[in-house]
Amino acid sequence: MFQPASLKGESPVPIDERIRNKYLILYIVIIILSFIPCSLFEFWYVYYFWSESFFWTFFLLLPFNVLLAIYIVQFTATLTSVLILKVVNLIHFPKEGNFKRSLEDRDYLFWNIRNIIKKWPLFVMASNPFPWFKNRFTLRFFGVKIGKKTICDNSWISSELVSIGENVIIGMNSTVLSFGIEQDNFILKEIRVGNDVLIGAKCVILPGTVIKRNVRLSAHSYTKHNAVLEEDSIYMGHPAKLKKTE
Amino acid sequence: MEREEDSKFEMEIISTSGVYKTPFSLIIIVQLFIGGLVLFFVNLWFINSLYYLLTGSQFYSFGFKAEWYYWLLLPLNIYGNIFLFVFTIIVFSAGIFRLLNKLSQPEEGIFERGSKDWNYMHRRFWTAFFPIWLARALPLPWLDIIAYRFFGTRVGRSVVLYEGYIDPLFVEIGDFTMTSLNICIFSHLIYQDKVHIKKVKIGNACVVGPHTIISPGTVMEDFAVLGVNSYTKINQNLKGNLIHVGTPVSMTLPIQSVEESQQKAVKVKEGPENSKEKQNGTNLNLKEG
Repeated sequence: MFQPASLKGESPVPIDERIRNKYLILYIVIIILSFIPCSLFEFWYVYYFWSESFFWTFFLLLPFNVLLAIYIVQFTATLTSVLILKVVNLIHFPKEGNFKRSLEDRDYLFWNIRNIIKKWPLFVMASNPFPWFKNRFTLRFFGVKIGKKTICDNSWISSELVSIGENVIIGMNSTVLSFGIEQDNFILKEIRVGNDVLIGAKCVILPGTVIKRNVRLSAHSYTKHNAVLEEDSIYMGHPAKLKKTE
Repeated sequence: MEREEDSKFEMEIISTSGVYKTPFSLIIIVQLFIGGLVLFFVNLWFINSLYYLLTGSQFYSFGFKAEWYYWLLLPLNIYGNIFLFVFTIIVFSAGIFRLLNKLSQPEEGIFERGSKDWNYMHRRFWTAFFPIWLARALPLPWLDIIAYRFFGTRVGRSVVLYEGYIDPLFVEIGDFTMTSLNICIFSHLIYQDKVHIKKVKIGNACVVGPHTIISPGTVMEDFAVLGVNSYTKINQNLKGNLIHVGTPVSMTLPIQSVEESQQKAVKVKEGPENSKEKQNGTNLNLKEG
């Protein structure tokens, strides 16, 4: 339950080595833009409080300053990358399907570009030491539907083509992958998780999986591509098989 | 009554442990503030004394004068600030943790959602969350062990805890034990609308392999080894001097050289007859195929 600093639940956003350097400028621009409001806030803080009469309050409010600065960086990083994503999506809208893993395939290329854009806000979100406004909050900005009362802060959830219902618990170290790479093929398929689902620790959910209402998936199991887990039942194994229906 | 429920738990799956964000999680802001406050006063005193040594006057009078050897503390100041911050937060939240333990004694068993124990479990979790995060974020390997000891976990001598999720309450780790990367040691599991809390005991000189899950109620005897990528069932007992593998654990291998152990893999079946064989340990080598 106690999240080590290195096992933070960062969303998986791999980037193809062949185009990483080409679009590096996008990544740097987002980082610089995300620090501008934070630095303005810090400037205001020092300008306002660093005087004889406010000397004590300057230091007493310093912990809150750190807390606010982290959240300002996180929010602005998310907002800038969402805005850039909107522009990129106008050029090429993301869609499901089987594609080729070559840079001539526009779907694969734009999937990589989207990952470059998302990488920084998702990194900041996962590195945030405070438990509020973390994965669930940030992923909603990127179009992942996550319901109320859902625990998913310790798991690696893909940042697109995923929808998770209400009152779901996704265990620690679990991975929800809406993309898959197999040799020269590249798969993008939506994952749907219903309400009241319990997914155990260290599960892997592969693209195209549909998990219906009130399913319990045992720890340490994985689901096949395009698997359908039926309602009110327990699944376990490698790959997950029906164990019991209520 | 409770025993019946326990046996029902054995039948079912291993799930996960999850904690909801309650308003009590705002205690992290209090911890942050207390840490910052101590940091501020110590630094005020230190910078003030250095200022006095340099100029002969001080901007804030603490009532005692600085000496020449204060200069020796200067290299410590930079790195020491980090440790001062973390240690004050650990000590402060350990105090709150013990207070919560006195208000409601932590107990093993099965608890409903919204019950008193459920609420106090969440409160205990949120008090221990931030200090343990800080201790694990720092590069020193013994700091997280100290943090766990402050929260009442029994951790023995010469223990190595690599990165992994370890619950602080109801966990006992013996001397010379190693837990590998990316493990989950759960002393509480969520099942439907209930939470199951049971003590985990890890003996002396055990090795917990990477990517494993240890469920509540597991007892690892001395010199037991839990293999890679396996998980234990609830209330499972792992015999000493053996390697245990499987999802859930169903195979035991004697600790031997690699070639020998591959030949002599023996499947241990469930049942009272076989458990006697396990205790003797002599029949293990006879069943080789």
